[in-house]
Amino acid sequence: MFLQTVANGILIGGIYAAFSIGFQLVFGVLDVVDFAVGGWVMLGGYGGYWSARLLGAELYVSLPLCLIAFGILGYLMGPLIYRVRTSRYARPTLMALAFTFGVATFMRGGALTLWGFDTRSVTTAFGGMSVQLLGLTFPLLRLIAFGLALVTTLALLAFLRGTRLGLGIRATAQSKEHAALLGVDVKRISMLVYGIYTGITGMMGVLLAAIYSVTPEVGIRYTLLAFFMVVLAGLGSVTGVLAAGLLLGVLEALVAIYIGASYSYLLVFGVLYLTLLVAPEGLFRRPRRA
Amino acid sequence: MRWVLAVALGLAALAIAVSLPFWAGGYWTRIATGIFMWAGLACSWNIVGGYAGYINFGQVAFFGVGAYATGILMNDPYDWTFPATVPAGLTASAILAGAVGWPTLRLRGAYFAIATWAFAEALFQISTVLDITGGPAGLSLPPIVDERLFYYLMAAAAAGTYGIAYLLLERSRFGYRLTALRDNETAAETLGINTASVKVSAFVLSAILSALFGSIFAYWVTFINPRSVLGGDITDQMVIMVLVGGLGSLWGPALGAAILYLVNRLLWSYWGDTVIYIVILGVAIAAVVLFLPDGLISLWPRHRRRNLLGAALGRLGRWKRDA
Repeated sequence: MFLQTVANGILIGGIYAAFSIGFQLVFGVLDVVDFAVGGWVMLGGYGGYWSARLLGAELYVSLPLCLIAFGILGYLMGPLIYRVRTSRYARPTLMALAFTFGVATFMRGGALTLWGFDTRSVTTAFGGMSVQLLGLTFPLLRLIAFGLALVTTLALLAFLRGTRLGLGIRATAQSKEHAALLGVDVKRISMLVYGIYTGITGMMGVLLAAIYSVTPEVGIRYTLLAFFMVVLAGLGSVTGVLAAGLLLGVLEALVAIYIGASYSYLLVFGVLYLTLLVAPEGLFRRPRRA
Repeated sequence: MRWVLAVALGLAALAIAVSLPFWAGGYWTRIATGIFMWAGLACSWNIVGGYAGYINFGQVAFFGVGAYATGILMNDPYDWTFPATVPAGLTASAILAGAVGWPTLRLRGAYFAIATWAFAEALFQISTVLDITGGPAGLSLPPIVDERLFYYLMAAAAAGTYGIAYLLLERSRFGYRLTALRDNETAAETLGINTASVKVSAFVLSAILSALFGSIFAYWVTFINPRSVLGGDITDQMVIMVLVGGLGSLWGPALGAAILYLVNRLLWSYWGDTVIYIVILGVAIAAVVLFLPDGLISLWPRHRRRNLLGAALGRLGRWKRDA
């Protein structure tokens, strides 16, 4: 029972980490705390739902489809984010927070207007399947999500460390002015990073809508979880997000089983708040890196 | 001559405001009551958000504490009268704000926003599991005979809020200290400002004012539950009203509150649906941040920003002549 709970927690934690990686990247590189992260997850869920409904697409089609579609959408939104971030107005960080807060509100309102309050779920052939291993049960969808989260993290790290573009992104993360002086097109990098973020987040939204379900109201919950993980992981640490996700997943699963599900949120907020007070820089922060 | 006109206009506005419940009818009186409440709440948020530059996403916590203090104390084992519950609510929220504000205000920027949000959500979760708050089912309060009372209560509370904000933020050292630490906290410290104490004072002040409206609101609607007085969308409303009206200006929040609340109510009465209102809110914030960072109030003729704009245009004109 205990082992099964921990295993479930680890799988859920992987999924939590998955949609926070891009968020972390945007936080680290653009200094933008994106309030709309849950909104992108939610829209991704609807993307998966409609592509399954209208095109009859299975997951291996709809996942890349949403990755590309939401990537392009985010890339096109990039200039707006860049404009807010580089505004001459005082406190651009807070204005960016306010702007993405507006975007999140817009997404929620738009989804409510278009699709109402109904709960929808992505239908997939993998839905009921599960894998038995060492006497524990692993639902296949969650395994896929966990694997995808791992692969995405590794691919992102390889991209950041191994390519020239990744070098440009890391330089931008350290100092926009210096990067610009050295010939990095900061605006293009910003658009690119925002596009990568929305693509990854939207793709994970498809999986979350297949595992759970999607309504226009789920966004807030995912925003909260992403905040939690980024705070726990510390600014800019992409690998820290994985660890924080696993920690959160296991913690939530254990509390839900042994104390009561109504307390799991309370615990999440409590831990989040205390972490911020004790270690505002995060638990897994390594100094000076993207 | 000018000030005679101003005084006459002010007296006329006062006469209209005082007599409004007697000729406007129940519907418009309720709307006016709501506008006063939201204008006051937006102003209380603006003290920390606009003047001190700390975006507080958990302001609803103090509104909820005020509401629940009134709700709990007016109910069974206590049976206090309404006027007695208000000071209790204000004291509770002041203590809570001091205890929470002291550590939280050490955080900056987005971290502060996240921490206050987490705090408010934790309070929301607590209120759903406690017995004393009635859990998710909520609390009922003794109903009131004449609704016009709340119009005057809200109007007086709003007037008091704006009066306090005017005196403390626009006409005193306290206000200068706040704006100094907003613009550059380190520089403010080197000038000898005790930033920690100034920030916490502002935080407590804003919490007390929010709790005041929470108390009146609970008595007004006579039924409260966690979602209606501790829900995150109440904070969202305050933030949006301030942003749209004008962050860090005295009258901006009142303007934003009046416009947005009217839009909300009109949509509600003509379509019976406020979903589209959420879309409008989103577009409004995004547009304001992108194109009018000082809010709608900066379109007012004698506002500072407009003057800056005028100066810039004048310079542009000169430059064109020179060229």
